[in-house]
Amino acid sequence: MNLPIELLIALLVWGTLVGVDLVSLPQMMIARPLVAGTVAGAILGDIPTGLKLGVVFELLQYDILPVGAVRYPEYGPATVAAVATAHASAGVLGLGLGALVGLVTGLFGGVTINVLRRVNSRIVHAAAARLESGDPAALVRVHVGGLLRDALRAALVTIVGLVLAWLARPLLAGALSPRGALLLAVAAVAAAVAAGSAGTLRLVGRGPNLAWFAAGLGGGVAAAIWLR
Amino acid sequence: MAAVKRRPSLAAALLRLFAVQGSYNYERLLGVGVGVAEEPLLRDLDDGKYRPAVARGAHFFNAHPYLVGLAIGAAARAEHDGAAPDQIERMREALCGPLGSLGDRLVWAGWLPLLSGLALAAVALGGGWIAVGAFLLVYNIGHVALRWWALQAGWTHGTRVSVALHHPVLQKAGALLGPAMAFAVGAALPLSASLLAVPFPRWAQWAVLLTAGACFVLLRWRGDRVNGLRLGLGISALALVVGLLWQ
Repeated sequence: MNLPIELLIALLVWGTLVGVDLVSLPQMMIARPLVAGTVAGAILGDIPTGLKLGVVFELLQYDILPVGAVRYPEYGPATVAAVATAHASAGVLGLGLGALVGLVTGLFGGVTINVLRRVNSRIVHAAAARLESGDPAALVRVHVGGLLRDALRAALVTIVGLVLAWLARPLLAGALSPRGALLLAVAAVAAAVAAGSAGTLRLVGRGPNLAWFAAGLGGGVAAAIWLR
Repeated sequence: MAAVKRRPSLAAALLRLFAVQGSYNYERLLGVGVGVAEEPLLRDLDDGKYRPAVARGAHFFNAHPYLVGLAIGAAARAEHDGAAPDQIERMREALCGPLGSLGDRLVWAGWLPLLSGLALAAVALGGGWIAVGAFLLVYNIGHVALRWWALQAGWTHGTRVSVALHHPVLQKAGALLGPAMAFAVGAALPLSASLLAVPFPRWAQWAVLLTAGACFVLLRWRGDRVNGLRLGLGISALALVVGLLWQ
């Protein structure tokens, strides 16, 4: 991946915005992989690649239900890194390598979210006396500090993802045969489809919605066959 | 209850609500963000009441972020109405569970996957970036409307905020979103798989089908230990090793 500096900066800014949107501000769902990937593709002038990687990680996202203080991977900046990887390698090689880089970045992103929450806990604990005094300035300071730390965290995750994207092609692309590249793409697509199906079934449950899911699945299969 | 002379502007609180999770932590969860969002609604209080109310607003709180406004509006109204501090604390505690489960059902398990499923299907059918743009636009119409409704309803009902939770639109939306989401995502799954696997040769398409089936069984069977990320990393690593050896 050899991109002009202005494109790298644009990807870094976009990845940071996407990372902040996931939890902190404003949760308008630019953090959804389908959106993050499409815009990353547009930045690189390669929307089809952005859409494909966006679909892969959107399916993986169904595996996550962000309730309570549950821990989860972060697929927004991961999708940005995945698109940057795939853009540098054409066809199925790009899909497989992009997904691999995105999965590793998503894992790292999830770890950083947990670390950030622990850091925030310590800071809130230390500020407890000022918060209990009802000092609005102290309250806002603690809160804005959390926002800024999340922005730094998101930028760090995006940087790590872009570095992985930069390393992936020289380290792996040359060593993989076309069959090997295809295997990697098969693994990524299969994992995404399986995670999407299992996650959706968890949401749907065994009640009456299961019949609606089956009807949708049947319609989707029919449409997919018809389109071929 | 003392009459409230003038309703404070809800706009500042609404804007702050968009960042309500900005300082999310394991000690107070959303508490600090809730306090920050509630603070503009408390500025009209007397000096002796303002600071204790701000401090109460920042105590532990957890709920769905889009519905937190209901608790913020209700707590601020209760402070203006002169409710006892214990009563306000109890109301906040009582709202955590219902606001969390209602928001999860309506948004995380309804509105969001419904629109995401429709967007995936539209992309697979050739909708391109327009489908993604439509997803963002429609989703956020619902998102912003829900945040605004929650804040207004909380302020309107005060300590009787549980009335708002039984609003018929919420009940109807909950009943409609479940089946719609199940149908949309059900249709999106095969269409998305088809989009991704079309460039593959026939043997690789069968390999996707078989591998996805095996992974699905594993996720259903050992979902307590295996998740999509671990599975994806595991089989990608395996494919990478086989791919490097199989020249």
